[in-house]
Amino acid sequence: MNNYSNDNTARRYRAHVSILGTTQIHLRNPYIIGWWSAAFPGFGHLLLSKYLRGFVLFIWEVVVNVNCNLNLAMIYSFQGEIDKAKEILDTRWLLIYIPVYIFAIWDSYRTTVDLNKIFVLAEREEHRFNSFSIGAMEINYLDKRSPLMAIIWSLFVPGLGQLYIHRITTAFFVIIWTVVFFYLSHGLEAISLLFLGEIKQATEVINAEWLLFFPSIYGFAIFDSYINTVENNKLYDKEQRFYFKENYQSSSFQVLKGLKMK
Amino acid sequence: MMMQIFSTFEHSVFIEMAISTLEKKGVKRENIFVIPLDNQTEERKVFDNLHRSDGTSFVDIGVALATAFSVIGASIGFELAWGPIYWGLIGAAIGFLIGFGIRIFTEIILKKRRRLLKGFHSEIIVIVDCEESEAEMIENILFSHYALGVAKIKVQK
Repeated sequence: MNNYSNDNTARRYRAHVSILGTTQIHLRNPYIIGWWSAAFPGFGHLLLSKYLRGFVLFIWEVVVNVNCNLNLAMIYSFQGEIDKAKEILDTRWLLIYIPVYIFAIWDSYRTTVDLNKIFVLAEREEHRFNSFSIGAMEINYLDKRSPLMAIIWSLFVPGLGQLYIHRITTAFFVIIWTVVFFYLSHGLEAISLLFLGEIKQATEVINAEWLLFFPSIYGFAIFDSYINTVENNKLYDKEQRFYFKENYQSSSFQVLKGLKMK
Repeated sequence: MMMQIFSTFEHSVFIEMAISTLEKKGVKRENIFVIPLDNQTEERKVFDNLHRSDGTSFVDIGVALATAFSVIGASIGFELAWGPIYWGLIGAAIGFLIGFGIRIFTEIILKKRRRLLKGFHSEIIVIVDCEESEAEMIENILFSHYALGVAKIKVQK
């Protein structure tokens, strides 16, 4: 059940509150979105709420990266062992990685620039949109949440920050992949060993190529939950202003002269 | 004797609860006037820079650099005594601090005039028409729903 039935009378809508989350078009920096696509193809599109493309590009990245040993080659390159890096790259997979990688960056950049223009027009149009949704499985509505809490939960497990702000689709996707990365990288075993002070053993137990996915998934989860909390709060304010202007500005109301009472 | 009660609020669910309670107590909708105020800094930010979402400004470069430095730190960390996890985390912290430093510099030093005022903001003004006998009750309702300030005005004939 929604509080607004879309009659498709707007040329552009700026937001939509659904059971799966609050989707909105807002101003974004195209370079930052492009950067997240470079850190991990798919993340730029997930930030834009373009989930299907995001999923395709993300899964592509994991499959091709692992098969052509790209993460291992990066590790060797950063260590200065260029010969080892050359040797380990699997040319049966490598070349196909490049065009899709560049496409992800270019397409998310281009889309951001476009959506920023759409945002300006949609905001001026100020058409009503759905702002409350209740159904058998979930309840979602515009609300104010704390950006700091979104960051803190994302630091514990990527995806929890998204759950906090009801960004269900990203939350499920990120949580599932976090589990996969933790399991295949043996990261949790290494952390247990670090707590025991066994640094050398911890390094040995790690599967390097899977560990290297962590910086991006943590960074993305923190950034995505943080900006979306801020943007949802801004949307809440805008929607509330619209509601008051529509309902609480009677033309017969007069502001009268008087004296302030103690 | 007619009275008007002025109050200011921040955007939150409490102002809607306050107005709903007033209506339940018999104040008519046409006797409640709500004025959302335009926030100066927000308008300016959008105008200054079309491509930036204001809320992101303090962490965006920080998180981006944290991710990049963490990858490099973890890679090199395999060869170092502390291993990849510690060096990955150290890389992330260094990257975040550098990015955050850059933002502090651009936002506070270069764009001083755009900074938000600290503390609570009056974002909405609510004016309620009522009889003198109701004034106390309305003031209590407004304050108990976190009005930032309330003033009762006795209308002069």
